[in-house]
Amino acid sequence: MTYRVVICDDSGFARKQLARALPEHLAADVAFAAHGGEALDILKTKDADLLFLDLNMPEVDGYQTLAAMRKNDISVKTIVVSGDIQPEARARVMELGAIEFIKKPIGKDELADVLSRLGLTPDDTGGRTVMAETVTETIEHSLSLPEVLQEIANVAMGQAADMLARLLDVFVELPVPRVSELGYGDLLMLLADANRSENVSAVCQGFIGFGIAGESLLLFNDSSLKDISRLMQFEDNPEGDNEAELLMDMANILIGASLAGIARQLDVQFSQGHPLVLGRHVNIGDLLDHKPSWKTTLAIEIPFKIEGRSINADLLIFFTEDSLPHLETRATYLSEA
Amino acid sequence: MEHQARELSEFHWLMDMLQTIDVGLVVVDREYQVCVWNGFMENHSGLMPKDVLGKSLFDLFPDIPEKWFRHKIDSVFLLKNRAFTIWEQRPWVFPFRNYRPITGSGGMMYQNLTLNPLVSTTGEVNHVSIVVYDVTDTANNKQDLQRANLELERLSRTDRLTGLLNRGAWESELKAEFRRFMRYKTPSTLVMFDIDHFKKVNDTYGHQAGDAVIREVSALLKQNARLTDICGRYGGEEFAVLLPNTPVASAKVFCERLRKAVEQQVIRYDRHEIRFTISLGAAEPAESFRDHAEWLEKADKALYHSKETGRNRTTLAQD
Repeated sequence: MTYRVVICDDSGFARKQLARALPEHLAADVAFAAHGGEALDILKTKDADLLFLDLNMPEVDGYQTLAAMRKNDISVKTIVVSGDIQPEARARVMELGAIEFIKKPIGKDELADVLSRLGLTPDDTGGRTVMAETVTETIEHSLSLPEVLQEIANVAMGQAADMLARLLDVFVELPVPRVSELGYGDLLMLLADANRSENVSAVCQGFIGFGIAGESLLLFNDSSLKDISRLMQFEDNPEGDNEAELLMDMANILIGASLAGIARQLDVQFSQGHPLVLGRHVNIGDLLDHKPSWKTTLAIEIPFKIEGRSINADLLIFFTEDSLPHLETRATYLSEA
Repeated sequence: MEHQARELSEFHWLMDMLQTIDVGLVVVDREYQVCVWNGFMENHSGLMPKDVLGKSLFDLFPDIPEKWFRHKIDSVFLLKNRAFTIWEQRPWVFPFRNYRPITGSGGMMYQNLTLNPLVSTTGEVNHVSIVVYDVTDTANNKQDLQRANLELERLSRTDRLTGLLNRGAWESELKAEFRRFMRYKTPSTLVMFDIDHFKKVNDTYGHQAGDAVIREVSALLKQNARLTDICGRYGGEEFAVLLPNTPVASAKVFCERLRKAVEQQVIRYDRHEIRFTISLGAAEPAESFRDHAEWLEKADKALYHSKETGRNRTTLAQD
């Protein structure tokens, strides 16, 4: 027999990755959903054996989907496939009825292991199954660079959040990262948007490697800083500058882990320059005092939030114009390998 | 064979470069014991590799803030994540003296550090590399720049002759105080005053005598004002003082004290004895005011009234 499978993920790239990793006996009957609402619609009209469910999605996220399934008595074995790898995220979805939790990015062997552990192996009698048309379509559909980068960012931010969660013993709320092409004017608007009305402190750090280069910008609003220092139980250090200390610790984790996650997925390594404290308690407009020379660039925006605290940190990763062809090559390789 | 020989000599060059590069390279293990110590570290610390290898960093350098640095290294081990420290958070980690007698500024070498997890062939992290950059020049330049900017800002706000706020800077304080008043409704008083018959001082004794009088009035103003009062030179011989959180009735005490102090002062200039007086006007803002200019006008009218009624006196504006 074949299994009927639903793959639910907002990222086309992630859907593709998962469809490609499916063993043949599972690839014969697959439906795709771009968020929880779509998945629920499918599940209401059609029986399914297995649901692969992402957590961080717009509209209806993974948690809400699981809760709605429970409420509407929809029972289908659900494997959560998530970039958010905080232990707390795992605990929450298992509590909501998921049977397994797999970290992104998913690999063929790892998936096969999980499926056999769950007893979802093909029976011997079945002959060769033919891959469903929807799956073939999905796999062959070519993806744009921003689509691929968004999923890469999604996984990378999950790793950064996991570190932060372990260090501060908190739960980090993860959004859907945004990837956009920007001109300088857009950059200013993005910054203005990121910082709301308060004063901010910012740290910048450059990176370069394998033809890809750029700069990360980490922004905190002032009220966040106070809350973080309380969480970190910062001891007052009379010789040092406590606030610079705090900014650097957060930058080391959030910038470092996000970049490492991106590099790992692109199969590159980055050198990182020394971080620069760009401004402290300043108006966002004062952060950038000279107009950069580039025209358009690609930027990833990840707003981190800590549950139950007023901590907001915005991580912006900008790539140089020169990096785009190299990124394109890597992304194509990644989405077609 | 030839290939091996070349590899060997390349290895030798590499080692030579690591030894001589003008950057500090240290490797420590989980017990913070030194495993690598390059030439830069040797030269700046005066400690040879044989003195340091296998010994704990914290035994070798009791000056290193142990708890702090231990925490940094531990988090690199734990998270297998690179970490950076910059001189702004701590000027130095290794207590190296600045060694250049001419272009150095004395004191300690400012340092930026990079901590890298070193992955072994079996994939474990049991060592951390520490890269030490000498950023003394950058730090000095940045501090000089900050000092210069602070000084420039101070100068751009200060009146050269008196050291009081100049008109522009004082007026922006007035605007801010007016906004505070409109929001919190706590009373504040604005005092305007000028030196009586100042033109006569100038005409009789010369401009330098006039300057001396202005300086003397400014000095008396500073002596009589409280730290929280905001004093400015409004123009020529005209001065302005903001008394935050002070109702006009209490401001009268300040006005009279200043007026009497000026009246009693005698300046000796070029064998002349110069005596002079001031006229003052004080006003609180009203909630009906549209902007700070109306407040200024109200105080100015009170000052004019003092002039009209015989000078050397204080007028409190009536609502």
